[in-house]
Order: sequence, then structure tokens, then C-alpha cells
Amino acid sequence: MNRILKKLFSNVTSLVGIILLAFFIVIAVFAPVITPPLSDDHYQIPRMSWDVNPQPPGSPMSDNMKQAYEFMEKEVKWKKAICGTAEGGYDIFYGLIWGTRTAFKIGIITVTISMLIGIILGSISAYFGGWIDEVLMRITDIFLSFPFLVAAMVLTTVLGRGLDKVMIALISFGWMGYARLIRGSILSTKEETYVMAAKALGVNDTKIIWKHLLPNTIFPVMVQGSMNIGSMVIMAAALSFLGVGAPVGYADWGQMVSFARNWIIGSPGNAGQYWYAVFYPGIFIVLFVLSWNLIGDTLRDILDPRLRGEL
Amino acid sequence: MKNNKKILLEIKDLKTYFFTEEGVVKAVDGVDFKVYEGETLGIVGESGCGKSVTAFSIMRLLDYPGKTIGGEIIFKEKDILKKSETEMRHIRGKEIAMIFQEPMTALNPVLTIGFQISESLRMHFNLNKEEASKKAIKLLTKVGIPVPEQRVNEYPHQLSGGMRQRAMIAMALSCDPNLLIADEPTTALDVTIQAQILELMKSLLRDFNGSLIMITHDLGVIAEIADRIAVMYAGKIVEYADKKTIFKNPSHPYTFGLLTSIPRLDMEMKRLNVIPGIVPNPLHFPEGCKFNTRCKFATEKCREKEPDLTALTEEHLVRCWHVDKVIQEAKKIF
Repeated sequence: MNRILKKLFSNVTSLVGIILLAFFIVIAVFAPVITPPLSDDHYQIPRMSWDVNPQPPGSPMSDNMKQAYEFMEKEVKWKKAICGTAEGGYDIFYGLIWGTRTAFKIGIITVTISMLIGIILGSISAYFGGWIDEVLMRITDIFLSFPFLVAAMVLTTVLGRGLDKVMIALISFGWMGYARLIRGSILSTKEETYVMAAKALGVNDTKIIWKHLLPNTIFPVMVQGSMNIGSMVIMAAALSFLGVGAPVGYADWGQMVSFARNWIIGSPGNAGQYWYAVFYPGIFIVLFVLSWNLIGDTLRDILDPRLRGEL
Repeated sequence: MKNNKKILLEIKDLKTYFFTEEGVVKAVDGVDFKVYEGETLGIVGESGCGKSVTAFSIMRLLDYPGKTIGGEIIFKEKDILKKSETEMRHIRGKEIAMIFQEPMTALNPVLTIGFQISESLRMHFNLNKEEASKKAIKLLTKVGIPVPEQRVNEYPHQLSGGMRQRAMIAMALSCDPNLLIADEPTTALDVTIQAQILELMKSLLRDFNGSLIMITHDLGVIAEIADRIAVMYAGKIVEYADKKTIFKNPSHPYTFGLLTSIPRLDMEMKRLNVIPGIVPNPLHFPEGCKFNTRCKFATEKCREKEPDLTALTEEHLVRCWHVDKVIQEAKKIF
């Protein structure tokens, strides 16, 4: 464990990843301090004005908006849109901060659950073999045959809008890779003598899978998982961008890019007029995904004995 | 020879075949033997003659494509082959335990020695973690591992080959099994360690009331430890007798060949004998006696019909048409 941490901190790329990740963790943890929520649903991005056009960074909250919040007896702690507002007056800064929490939620929950499903199905399939393997792997193949984004879109459309629905869709079509990966490594590991030795001692199948096989086979899956956290966030953002993801006004980076859809090219003669509308959420997505990928890469270097030069 | 000992394990006409794509490999083809309580049976034979497959068949540990298709394995008066998988799990480790050939690969690299020893204790006797760990330390002391309190928490890669084999023995003995099967326990070790492990096994055997099946291709090991010996060739027992008879009166040409191919201090031998050829491919065994292609006593009869395992005396069984000739030849040497 110490060796892993040491490696993580000594490598420049992983260090960059860790710093980025730490930055996002701090933002997610201190979100209520950085931007105190104005509505009861904390993930609802507050509006700074009713303007359709995005407003540039630093523009103040409009008077009728202030009155509205005073009427609702909410104390407005910040009066300026630091990063500007998106279409419809949504505050970009607020969305970025609370969107970090959304990103972590999506990434970690979807990856953890799909990893669990994949590990359970894959290890059962590989360990018992025979018709169990055949059935489980054909089911996996069926799921794999759907194009991921299309399948997820259809499922969210059917289930309705909302972050939980997005996650269900991402999990439903995201577990197969893990199942295949763990199946492959268990198929080779279960031929090891120590598995035979454990059986010869009367250890039952569950314990053999859990105590003997998984600790020897789980690392590639964990590496895959840490890299997938980033891509799950991108997928969720894509769904939101396409309008089947988070509900309108929900603090989600994908949704914020979607708000900017009509404003990516500014007015004639001033193409970069609304740069802030797409730049801020875009850069957050990029950095978030990058941080996980860098960490995943380093984890692979550390955990893969072939790359480590020990085998 | 009279024998009043109780039979612990009796194998009758055991057949274990491997159903491969090229054809059926008859790895074990009609093996019979008995293991008496408190005795050691040595199974000797070349690589690929079916020794280990016999052991795995007794434990019922063979997976597809291997399958035991016939015979009986009577352990404590019950047929193991008729037991359910759950019943089998209670027998494995608790009543029949096994020591594997390579201690390097037979220990799980990610689990501590202590965990692996106490695992079966916890399975079979519902001991809690602390009790099991105490017992593990005791077992490690018994098999002669120094500083056992420290070693229980170490991983296999921190131990030397000999130590690992000692740990394997501790694992196998943890539940006081009635029958211990040792599958070439000393083959992967270097000679000095081999001697130590054998010495250890012998001393443990004295305390251990069960029986031992020692599988090896090393006649020296057998001479040290076994009471009775079964010589296997090409999936069949070719000679079965007590140790003295085998070493003094070998009556099968294969046993004879094996004994004359090792240097012996108690005898004058000018030249070591060699058994020509190799074990025949199990997919294409020769007609008749399977040893006929390599046997210097072979005649037309050997190539036509396979002999049965016949009793010379009550406890000495041989599978050969030309026992008399072999005995005569053996008398000249031994």
C-alpha cells in the first residue's frame, strides 16, 4: 500500500492527476461554503436574471431577481455572476461548483455498481464454466451488441429525466466490460495449483472465488474502473447535452454545455462573444476526466507486474 | 504374509479417463489397491503413468475433460464416488488431505501463511480467528518452522522453498486427516531440503495415526518411508507388495528395470541398467501388455494378450506373463 502511494506521488503525470483530483474533491466538499444554495434543491442552479442571452463574467444580479429572492426570504451572499451566466440567466459559477458533486456522484456510483455486477457475473461464469458460463456470456454479448450511447439514450428516454435514471441507464449498459475482464483473468487463475490446494482442503466455492481468486485477479478491473469514471461522466454529460439527462436547471456540466449550444458562435463579427458559456463547463469536464485517466494510467503501471518488470 | 490391520481405503478397478479432442486418454485404467490404517503406501512410476490422476480421483478434484468413469473408492467403508459434492467438501481437508508437488505454486501469493493454514480449521471446526491462528502457530512449530509467531503473518514469497513445503504439510495436517496423500512432496526441492522434509514427514507419521499415500518417482524416497509399494505403469498397477518384497524380489520386468537403474550402496553393480524407450503415448497404447515395447522378456504372448494382476502370494500381486523368468534374473542380482 505504501509502495503504491509512493509511486503515485513520485510520478509527474500521476501527481498532476492527483492534484487535479484533489482540486475537484475540495470543490465538491466545500460547495455549500463556496456558493451557498439559494433554493431548497441545492442542485438547482439559481438564475441571476431572466435574460435569454448569456451575460458576461462579472455581471450583477438583476434587480427583479434580487427582489424575488428577498421575497422568498433568501439571503443572497453573492451578487455577481463570477463566470457569467448561461442562457436563461443561470449562474455558471454555481453550476460548476455543484456540478462537481454531480460528476463525482455519477462517476463513482455508476462505476462501483457496474463493477460489482461485472465482477459477480464474470467470476461466477468463469469459475463454474459449462452451461452457466454459456448463458451468462451470451447475455453479456447481447448487452454488448447495443451501441452504448444509443442504448443509454433510449433507456433514459423511457425511464424519464433525472440523474438517477441516467445512472441506471449507464449501469445497465456499462457492466459488460468488467465481466469480460474478470472472466478472462479468473479462467487463467483458476488453473493455478493453489486453487486446487484450497479445494483439496475443503474450502467452498464462494470462499475460493472471494478469498483466493478475486484478490489475484481484481487489479485490472480496478484500473479499468478508475479510467471509466471519467468516461462515465462524459457519457452523462452527453446525455444531458442531448436533452435526455438531468432535468433543466440541474447543476450538471453536460447540461451547462447544452445551455451554450446556441451561443457557441457569438454574434456576427464577434465570434468569441459568449466564450464563457461553453468554455467553463467544457474545461471542467476535460480536467475531471483527465485527472481520472492520469490516475488510472499510473495505477496500471503500478499494479501490472509485466509493466513493473517483476515478471 | 498375515495381515490383521484394518483397511482404511480400498480402490477397486478405478478408471479415470480424459476425454480430449484427439481421443480418450486412459490415464488410470483399472487400478486396485488397499491402504491399511496407520500404514504408508508408496505409488511409484514414471511421469505420466497416472499416479497423480489416481490421487486426484480419490479427492474427486478432476475437472472436465477428466472423469472417473468406473470403479469404487471405498473410504471408511463408504464409496467416495457416490457422495455428493457437499459431503465431499467435508471429507476434503478433514478426512483426506493432500500435499502438493510444488510448494511455490500451491500457496496463494496474496494470502498469509497463517490464513491459509487456519482456513481449513475454520471451515471444518468453526473455530474463530484467534483460536485458528493459535492452532496455526502450533502447527508451524510442529513442522519445524522457526519463529512461528512471526511467520504466520508472512506471505509465501517471504519463505524459502523448504519452509513453504513445511507450511504445506502444516496445512494438510491441520485437521488431523485419516488419510494424507502426498503427491511428490520432495520433487521440487533440492536434495538437502528433500532429506529434511522426509525426516520431518517420518517423524510426523509417528504421531499421526492416519495413513499416508506417498506418490513419487524416487525409489529412494519410497525406501525411506513406505510400508507397501504399488508400481504403476501406463495407468495400471503392475506390481503390488510390501517394501521388502519389492526391493528383494521384484517380479515384474518394469520394477526390475527401475531397481537396476538406480545406484545402490548395498550391492556391487558394474553398470546401471537403462529401460529403453519412453512411456507409450496414452492415446496409442500397444496391444497386449503395455510394457511389451520396452521389455526384454517380451514374447509373442505379451504382444497379444494383456496379463491380469495375479497373486504370487497373498500380498504380492504381479501383472506379467513371465514372472518366473524375472524372478530368476532378479535372484542373480539382488
